[in-house]
Amino acid sequence: MTQETYPINVWINEERLAKLQAVNLADMAEEAFAGLKVLRVPCTEAQRDKVLATFPTAKYDSATTKSIEQLPRDVKDKIFDAVIAKGSLNIMGEFLAQY
Amino acid sequence: MKIIGHGGKEIVERVMDPRQAVDKIRGLTRIPIRDQLAREVVMLSYGFFTPLQGFMTKADVDGVVANMRLTDGTVWSIPIVFDLANEEIDAKRIKQGDTLLLTYQDQPMATLDVEEIFSYDLQKMAEKIYGTAEEKHPGCARTYKYADRFIGGKVTLVNPPKMSEPFDRFFFTPRQLRAKIAEKGWLRSVAHQTRNVPHSGHEWLMKGSWIACHGDLPVEKIVTGIVVSAVMGEKRKGDYIDEAIVLTHDALRTYGYFREDVHITSIVLWDMRYAGPKEAIFHAILRTNLGLTHHMFGRDHAGVGTYYDPYDAHRIFDTISEDDLRIKPIRVLAWWFCPVCGEVTYSGLCGHTKERQNFSGTVVRSIIQDGVRPPRIIFRPEVFDLIMETAEKYGFGSPYVGDEYLAKRNPLFTVPPLKL
Ligand SMILES: [Zn+2]
Repeated sequence: MTQETYPINVWINEERLAKLQAVNLADMAEEAFAGLKVLRVPCTEAQRDKVLATFPTAKYDSATTKSIEQLPRDVKDKIFDAVIAKGSLNIMGEFLAQY
Repeated sequence: MKIIGHGGKEIVERVMDPRQAVDKIRGLTRIPIRDQLAREVVMLSYGFFTPLQGFMTKADVDGVVANMRLTDGTVWSIPIVFDLANEEIDAKRIKQGDTLLLTYQDQPMATLDVEEIFSYDLQKMAEKIYGTAEEKHPGCARTYKYADRFIGGKVTLVNPPKMSEPFDRFFFTPRQLRAKIAEKGWLRSVAHQTRNVPHSGHEWLMKGSWIACHGDLPVEKIVTGIVVSAVMGEKRKGDYIDEAIVLTHDALRTYGYFREDVHITSIVLWDMRYAGPKEAIFHAILRTNLGLTHHMFGRDHAGVGTYYDPYDAHRIFDTISEDDLRIKPIRVLAWWFCPVCGEVTYSGLCGHTKERQNFSGTVVRSIIQDGVRPPRIIFRPEVFDLIMETAEKYGFGSPYVGDEYLAKRNPLFTVPPLKL
């Protein structure tokens, strides 16, 4: 059984795709809409709960997208930067440690 | 020269010079009015609601509720009523034959001639207009909030409001917009009703309806125009801020996505009722008065939830004769992005129904929220950047209405000080 994850969807445009390519993560971005891609940064259940507790606007959309939505823009920018810095999608543990 | 509006009736402006009005309004009973009524007073006074020159009397409401017509036979779909609490009527001893002074932002704004004071069965009104009496329908909720009495009678603007920046550039009265259309030399013009910032799906809705509207006219000279008609009224959390709506639509022209000579951005003041088909008729009436010849109606026009079939707002026009409505509806399906066609295309033409990607409201919102500039085929970069700019300049950091915007936004218009 694969463990259920609770992703944060980060939009990937051409500019961001170039950065992902540089750290060999471009293949992780999935086609979403007209060439705009989406990168699903996984959270465990505990990390999801901490995200929701730390950022009050955030919501877990269990009905349609099954992802964590409504995070502030600057937080998502930082999540993307953390992915690039570490060269990995598994960054939420370290990321949340700052909060 | 007489200008003729909806129902073949003359467009009458009921607007007085404040200096001349002062003597007439001194001593009149004052009634402070809320935002919705103030907006409707402005619309009525400039003839946007022709043939109405004031708030409806009971017979007119009855006609609209029963068979979608005013007492004079003109097609009309939404009650335009002035409500007032019985206690206030008693306390101020308001009676038929009085003239009231309506105040807004603590300034005298307009007069209302009391032709009739009446009450109305609000549940019946809601049921007949909205096709439901459910309180969770926003139009019904608005109806149920009316006070227990109504005053029917003509209004006259005695202190015209001043539109605020940036709306002042986009507010045209029926007389002014008709003059502008004449100046452009347009023989036909199509309305694009909006409360959105435009992605390229919206842009194509406008282009498609322009082509349909232009039809058999000669092509050597531009004789057909698009009039973006943005609805400005009560805002709810999560709506686009008004400034972003008008400025981004206008940017489509200034950045050349529409030629200078085919496109105008304009606004109307109106609190959406979400009446679906009935509201489509109302929007058609409004744009008839603005001098337009065609009106685009897309999927689920002015609908809400699942109260109306997505094309109810198209089919209602089958029930109205061309003599009753001088504007022609242009009925359209959605545009989508098709990765096989490699373009934004019309759902009525593209056969790649499996591969197509819809302009989903949630996705568009999420992209805008994250400020990640999407490919130009779905969002024009200048428009996208402008959304971000207006968020900073007008939206307290967001292009979406939040608590701070609701509390501190610049009003659409202000009523200048007038000493009596
Ligand atoms: Zn296709």
